[in-house]
This record gives sequence, C-alpha cells and structure tokens, in this order.
Amino acid sequence: MSFSDDEEVRRYIGGIFETAFKDEEIGPKLADTGLVLKFAFTEPDSVLIVDMVGQRVHQDAESSSPGATMSMKGETANAYWQGKVNLPFAMARGRITVDGNVADLLKLAPMAKKLYPVYIENLRNDGREDLLV
Amino acid sequence: MTTTQTQRDYDSLPVSSLSFWAATAEERETTFRELREKRPISWHRPLEGSLMPPQQDGIWAVVRNEDIRKVSKEHDIFSSAYGVQQEEVPDEILDAAQSFLGMDPPRHTRLRKLVSAAFTPKQVVKIEEQIKNQATRIVDGLLDAGDCDFVQQVSKKLPMWTIYEMMGLPMQERESAAHAADGMVSWADEEVAAGREPGTVLNDSLVTLLSIGLEFAEHRRAHPADDLMTNLVQAEVDGQRLTDEEIGAFFVLLSVAGNDTTRNTISLATKAFSDFPDQRALLLEDFDGRIGTAIEEFVRWVTPVMTFRRTVVKDVELHGQHISAGEWVVLFYSSGNRDERVFTDPYRFDITRKPNQHVGFGGGGVHFCMGNMLAKTQLRAIFDQLLHRVPDLEVGEPSYLVGNFVRGVKSMPCTIG
Repeated sequence: MSFSDDEEVRRYIGGIFETAFKDEEIGPKLADTGLVLKFAFTEPDSVLIVDMVGQRVHQDAESSSPGATMSMKGETANAYWQGKVNLPFAMARGRITVDGNVADLLKLAPMAKKLYPVYIENLRNDGREDLLV
Repeated sequence: MTTTQTQRDYDSLPVSSLSFWAATAEERETTFRELREKRPISWHRPLEGSLMPPQQDGIWAVVRNEDIRKVSKEHDIFSSAYGVQQEEVPDEILDAAQSFLGMDPPRHTRLRKLVSAAFTPKQVVKIEEQIKNQATRIVDGLLDAGDCDFVQQVSKKLPMWTIYEMMGLPMQERESAAHAADGMVSWADEEVAAGREPGTVLNDSLVTLLSIGLEFAEHRRAHPADDLMTNLVQAEVDGQRLTDEEIGAFFVLLSVAGNDTTRNTISLATKAFSDFPDQRALLLEDFDGRIGTAIEEFVRWVTPVMTFRRTVVKDVELHGQHISAGEWVVLFYSSGNRDERVFTDPYRFDITRKPNQHVGFGGGGVHFCMGNMLAKTQLRAIFDQLLHRVPDLEVGEPSYLVGNFVRGVKSMPCTIG
C-alpha cells in the first residue's frame, strides 16, 4: 500500500519529522546533525525538504540546498519508516537511490530507529491500518 | 538485557585514538604489553572519529591470551548479536553485512551450519589440488612479472580465487567483488577513502557487494550448480528458505572473511621471511615436516584480524572489574598473540614454535574461524611454490591499511632476484 497523493506524503512522512522536532530528546539531536535532506518520491510524486537545523519540513525545493537526496517510491518510504527496509539492501536493488552524502544518512540511523514507532503510532491514530506493513 | 553505565576514569593508555590505529603493530604492542602486565582489563574511551557518534561511554579492553579465550567461549555472557566491531556501526549496515558472525546460538548455529560443511577438512582436501594448481599459476605469473607489487601480483589472488571458486561466482565478477570486500575493512584509511567519509566508503562497498551477491543468487536459482551459492539458495532453516537479505549477508561475510585475512597473512609472512632468512632456510630444510608449525606461527605473527567485540548481556566480573550488562568488551587478538604468559620469546618469529596457542583464528567457542582449514591449505600451497621456485624473493616495506579491524597491507614491493 502507498499514499494516495502528495498531501498524504506531506502529512505522514513530513509528520514524522514534525513530531520528532518537538521531541525533547530527538529534536536537538536532529538539529545537531546540521543536515538538510531532500526526499523525492514517486507514486505519488512528491518532494519533501527536511531542514534539521531550521526544524521544519517544506516543499520548496528551490529554497534549500540539500546535503543528500533520497529517491524512492511512496510504498518504499512507507515501509522504510516502519523499519521494514534496509537501506544498503534497498540501494543494492535500486529501490532507493541516494544522491549526495550517504554517510550523513547513516549517522541519522540511530535517531531514525526511534522514529519508527512514532510513525506507526501516527498511522494508527489516523485509522490508517491499511498502510501498516 | 538491562544497561547500567557507571562513571569511571578512562585508562591513561590509548587504544581508541585514530593515531593509535595509524601506528604500526609494533608501536601498538608497547601499549598492549603494559596493559597485559598491569591492567589486563581496562576501561577506554569510545573509538575516536569514524562512522557515527558513539552511543557507548567506553569500551573494556581484554588483552591477555587466557582472557580472550574465556570471553570467546562464554557466548551466553559475551554476545555477538549486538555487533562485533570496536566502534559503533549503523544497524542497517550490520544487518546487511554480518550474517552469522553477528549472532549467538541457536540462530548462529543454524545459519553457520549451512556453509560450514563446505569448510571441513574432508571437503577442503577435495579442492586442495585445485588450490595447488592456482598457487602454481600465481607464481608462474610472478616469475613472468618480475619485480612488482607483491599484494596485487600474489597475495590477493589465491584467497580471491579460492573463496569465489567455492561459491561459484563467475570469473568476471571476482575482481569487483574482492575490491568491494576490501572497502568493507578500509573505511578508516584516508588513502582508500579518497575524500569520501568513512560511512560512504563502507556503504558504497556494501551496496556493490550486495548487488553482485543478489544478482548471483538469482542466477543460481535459475541455473543451479555444484557450489556454495546453490546450496544457499536451496537451503531451508526451520522449514523456511533463506531470504535475499540473509543470502546477501552470507555473500558479504564470506567475501570479507575469505579475501582479507589469508591475503594479509601471505603478505606479512613473506615479509617475515625477508626479515628472518634463517627461518626461511630452516623451513626449506624440511618443508613438509615443518610447514604445519610454520603456518600456525604465520597466523600468530601476523594476526590478520586484530579485534572483535562482544557485548555483555549479564553483569560479570573479570580480574576484579565489574562489567555491567550492555557494556562492550573488545578482544585484542594482536595482544593475545604476544602474551609472554603463553609464548616463550613472543617477539621471535619461530616456525618451529610448539605448542603455539595463538588466538589468530579466534579464542575458541562458536565463532572460531570456520575457514581455518582452508586458510592453512592456501598458505601451504603458496609458500610451497614461493619458497621453492622464487628462492631470492625479497620484499620491501609494506604500506599498511589504517584501521582497527583487519591488519591490512595495501601494497608491498618485491624483487625476485
């Protein structure tokens, strides 16, 4: 299952970071990374810019220069944020491509792990069991 | 497992700094010698720099031979399931790369068994002739090449051929796979990284290896043959076929373990013969009679795998030090192989040393090197050729890989006389 449109991607994937920025433990750690990440999704087409320093998620690709861009289908993103996709495997199979510094993404890994339950909880709270992998 | 971290002072001797791992093995040994004598269990800072910010307050260093054996055997206290590197490695990488190396029984036992049958003495004897033929061809190539880089021309070739022949990997893929396997142990080396971050070196290498491994697995499903990959794609554990992820991780583990250990032993044992020609002469006097003990000494002398880590899962005491569940214990095999409590004259390269209780294949227990027989067979074959056919072989100074895991030689000039 995947998202139906750009708005859902924004709400659910963007929502992960918006929740994380408010978290007392994870928020400052994300800011410390100094990263700006771009996510380019297909099926549905969508772009998200996650500015860890500015602690905001937006869709204005022109206004930031990301350190890395991760491209994947919406379905892969949904599974990834539930902890069901291994990044190196997904890259080996071409399901995720990374343009830029992949080392930055690996440094995010311990924090990303803490966000999986947040995402799953968000889906449940919204009655979106259809998106659970 | 509960985690209790206690505030305590770090040891005054470094085993975690980048400069420590950029120094030579001989320089590091001065630190290990003092630790062995005065503080067999010591608390150190987390590894400096590298892949990601440390999540641990520090590491416990285990430096005596006897203690390395104890920790290695007690897998119910000292677990491999939380990673086996001295430094923090992202879980994503561990999951994709470690296979049974990063597991405890019973899962470790079930997965290791799938490939261990191919590495038994009986099975290794079956391919011994092929290994000898390869060693002959490699030394033919050396004689044709003349003065050259010994690592490229000799050391890397036999392990690469052997492990990939066993797996059945097509010839055209072998160089790229071996190169990627090198990258898996080279993330701390600036020359190899060439401006890339350590995490990028590791991930790029891993993705390359996985791509080759997964494509090869797919090929073997459609075209089975008599090789290890076919066994893996057809194997079942608890009634289930292995997943692609499990097969990929097997491929990565066997690639790294098969390439980057025996290669460095070949390089540095050759260096030892250049440095100690009396030992070369001694071996040549009775090659068949002495090669057995000589090989054990090569592995002790070189110690190609310098460290492995365990994570304590139950509070335990070692030499009066309380170690809490969740803390990391690092086994320093290089130190264990110079332990004066076990070895008479440990700094002497002695091909007749017996007994030789080195921990170069590990300290025993379930993670003892599965490929030890294969490595010994390769070492016997290549040194039989080198010593008999290239009597004037001399090597220059090795260029060492910077890192805390494999004692790697990137290049080493040689002259054949």
